[in-house]
Amino acid sequence: MNLSYRVYYVFYRNLVSYKRFIVPTFLVSLIEPLFYLITFGIGMGAYIGYFGGKPYLNFLVPGVLVSSVMLSSTFECLYGTFVKIVHEKLYDSLIATPVSAEDAVAGDIAWASFRGLVSGTLMLMVASVMGVLPATLLSVPLLLVLMVLVGILFGSLAMIVTSFAPSFDFFNYYTELIITPMLFFSGVFFPLDKFPAWMKTFSSFIPLTHAVNISRAVFTGVYDRGLLFSFFYIFILEGIAFFIGLKSMKRRLIK
Amino acid sequence: MKTIVTAQKLVKKFGELVAVDGISFEIREGECFGFLGPNGAGKTSTIRMIHCVSPLTSGRLIVNGLPAHIDNRALKMMTGVIPQEITLDTDLTVYENLIVFAHFFSIPKREAKKRIADLLQFVELEAKKKVKIDELSTGMKRRLLIARALLNRPRLIVADEPTTGLDPQAKHLIWQRLRQLKTQGATLILTTQYMEEAQQLCDRVVIMHRGKILKEGVPSKLVAEEIGREVVEIRIPKEDDEKVLSDLASFSCGHERVGDTLYFYCRDGQGLMKKLVELDLHNYLNRPASLEDVFLKLTGRGLIE
Repeated sequence: MNLSYRVYYVFYRNLVSYKRFIVPTFLVSLIEPLFYLITFGIGMGAYIGYFGGKPYLNFLVPGVLVSSVMLSSTFECLYGTFVKIVHEKLYDSLIATPVSAEDAVAGDIAWASFRGLVSGTLMLMVASVMGVLPATLLSVPLLLVLMVLVGILFGSLAMIVTSFAPSFDFFNYYTELIITPMLFFSGVFFPLDKFPAWMKTFSSFIPLTHAVNISRAVFTGVYDRGLLFSFFYIFILEGIAFFIGLKSMKRRLIK
Repeated sequence: MKTIVTAQKLVKKFGELVAVDGISFEIREGECFGFLGPNGAGKTSTIRMIHCVSPLTSGRLIVNGLPAHIDNRALKMMTGVIPQEITLDTDLTVYENLIVFAHFFSIPKREAKKRIADLLQFVELEAKKKVKIDELSTGMKRRLLIARALLNRPRLIVADEPTTGLDPQAKHLIWQRLRQLKTQGATLILTTQYMEEAQQLCDRVVIMHRGKILKEGVPSKLVAEEIGREVVEIRIPKEDDEKVLSDLASFSCGHERVGDTLYFYCRDGQGLMKKLVELDLHNYLNRPASLEDVFLKLTGRGLIE
């Protein structure tokens, strides 16, 4: 492991290039969750009615929020990083400077987490306008920390996939077979308590389930001890994914 | 003169493929040292180990007193790399490319701005400061790569085929700039397939083939030792070889038949040329011997793939 403060330089490079994409990415980050919330929240909400004394929209927001963080950090480390490695050969010139391969990869993961944080925050603003707010203002920082962690976790996982991807098409396996199903197993759209026991067990291994639980607690204001475990679980997984992501990417970069 | 790079029994393998096969060489401070060779000779693999982006398989490689290693940031700090491929950041403008790169070397912003202004002038790109990379010509991109490689004021400059795909004007401008850098005291390591480029720039060269060094020396001396001073090329059918060779037997020139051409390597081609006029042959050419002849003689005139 050869990490240094130079991670920031790579983050800075992404920030400079972001200037040109800021309008389209902000629009996408705003419009995409809007679609989710309007169609599911209002359309499906009309059938489902009230959930624990509150409209369905209130159930939906916390889950959709963390999934938008997951999706944007995932895509950044899949497509964004792949372009930088294969098409633009950016990493080749980077590792010839005092910036190490680990610095470069960690910089991109940090960037992916930042992109996730931006998406999540925009989503939070949209939800506020629609009247869905965290239980107290004090719990907002907790939500922001959660978004950063989720961003690093899914950025790192995507980095592992990118480290052995031969082409863009390969990413479909990951997004269609792992990321999308995760949305349905983690309690984003409906509660998991009607799942049979084995499915519940399965869900409890999915990191997104734990992120959704924490996020939902922030909005309902109902915390329990299980959340501490959820936080810990995400934290540990993130550490492992980050470590493997850096190692496997270095193997791809240094030959 | 002090040596800046010492390689002993350097080996680089990619799986089963041996790219560099136990080579040893020394590069002196302040000289321009060239690696010549056909595609796949191991030139790029060698210099990638020198500038610390590729680990050695075995052997010893010392650069400026330190072992070359992929995590050796001190060496990367004093090295400037002009890559073979155009690895500019296409999301950024010319200026942004340089300022971001200056960051990678921890150059303070004010100092970076000063250096960028000087370097853009040095490579004649001041007018393109705010232009995006896609809008530059290949020559401009190559010049920008040179400016980028100089941001950290490198003592060692590694250039991997720096003029590939350029028109003569752009090529000569780059040669001038590289020579200028050498007079300013930098050590230059160059790989090239263009023999003219090696003759224009290099103090010493090694000729590589299949991962090994075939020959090492000063370009002009190599030409004189291996080939002589002049080359006479005669294009005649192979059947006529015997007759022509017996007619020209009195001249002490080495000869070689390759494809449609009979080559003569002479100290002085004048007598031979007169004789050719007498023999009434038409399709011939007399020219000074070049590094290219050495190169082709050593690596074979056949296609290398």
